[in-house]
Amino acid sequence: MTRADPEYGHLVPLLEQYAATDPDDPRREALRDQLVRGFLPVAQHIARRFAHRGEPLDDLVQVATVGLINAVDRFSPERGSDFFSFAVPTISGEVRRHFRDQGWSMRVPRRLKDLHVSINGVVSELAQQLGRAPKPSEIADRLGVPVADVLEGLEAAEAYRSSSLDEMLSSEQGSATVGELVGEADAELDRVDSRQALRPILAELAPRERTIVLLRFFGNMTQTQIADRVGISQMHVSRLLAQTLDRLRDRLDPDTRIG
Amino acid sequence: MSDLDSLHDDELFGASTVEVRTSASAALIPTIRAVASDLAARADFDLDAISDLRMAVDEACATLVDVAAPSSILQCRFVVRPEQIRVLAEVSAAGSDSVVSTDTFGWRVLQTLADEVEVHHTPGTDGARPTVGIRLDKRSGDGSR
Repeated sequence: MTRADPEYGHLVPLLEQYAATDPDDPRREALRDQLVRGFLPVAQHIARRFAHRGEPLDDLVQVATVGLINAVDRFSPERGSDFFSFAVPTISGEVRRHFRDQGWSMRVPRRLKDLHVSINGVVSELAQQLGRAPKPSEIADRLGVPVADVLEGLEAAEAYRSSSLDEMLSSEQGSATVGELVGEADAELDRVDSRQALRPILAELAPRERTIVLLRFFGNMTQTQIADRVGISQMHVSRLLAQTLDRLRDRLDPDTRIG
Repeated sequence: MSDLDSLHDDELFGASTVEVRTSASAALIPTIRAVASDLAARADFDLDAISDLRMAVDEACATLVDVAAPSSILQCRFVVRPEQIRVLAEVSAAGSDSVVSTDTFGWRVLQTLADEVEVHHTPGTDGARPTVGIRLDKRSGDGSR
């Protein structure tokens, strides 16, 4: 697809015109409309490439169109580059971001996502009954599915990056008692803090991440106990802990680990 | 010589072992920790124990990669029993002064996540580099004790 492309060739002068039009010019809106509608098949094509990954095609087309609008707005023809080489990555980037924001990295089949949701649903229930975190076999029993499916679902959980669903499910309750517990953990913290300046780094964390780290590593609570206390799922605690440790490792001067 | 070589047959009785060798590079740690959590899940560890082991392996490997000699190998052996997984991770140290200290946050993390954790340093001998290894044990969870 180049300037010579018959399908889009007529739009090239419009792009130049649009870029040259003053932002306050009333004709700008009409030009933009014409451009977006003209290039829409490109957005639709990109959206279709991301179909069958668990997001409805309609949503993807909408997101791709947002990407296209951004591309039209930001493209500067005077740099001499071709519109497509600018627009395609911009649109794909927007769609990728959508997947990321939806919480899943790509290519997790619908079945596994559903399984993840079912697993998450029974984990806290089982934990309450057992007084500890459940095992894969116990989850399988409760759901009436083979253990192999649970193992697969747990693996899929690792591909679950952001926490949009958990965020919606979590609540602010319990934060008062967490404060008290953190007080005790705080004393424990002094023992490590003398060597590494951990406190200022911990202080930069979001309150919930900081609380979870303190309770796990200085308050001697299990993930399941923390989940119960903070009001989020065990899997979410697990994810937040892993992410936070990663961040802390980057922040702590590596030299301090070498004696 | 090192901890990894001193595993006797009787220590392995009734256990299955898995060994992963990678370049001592931080970029490969996700592969090793994925192996760790897969082994724990298949051994039916509880979810807390699976996640703890995963993070502990992550931390141990990151610690070792930091002190590893350039372009050396990170060797990681998992000894899997129904009630416990033992991890033996080892690298060639960059120098005789490359040691893992145990009064850091990272060590605190390891102690919390694992049931037992130990670091061992072997001095370099003629022709052999010094090694640094971390051994950690993780039990399957409170329920099976």
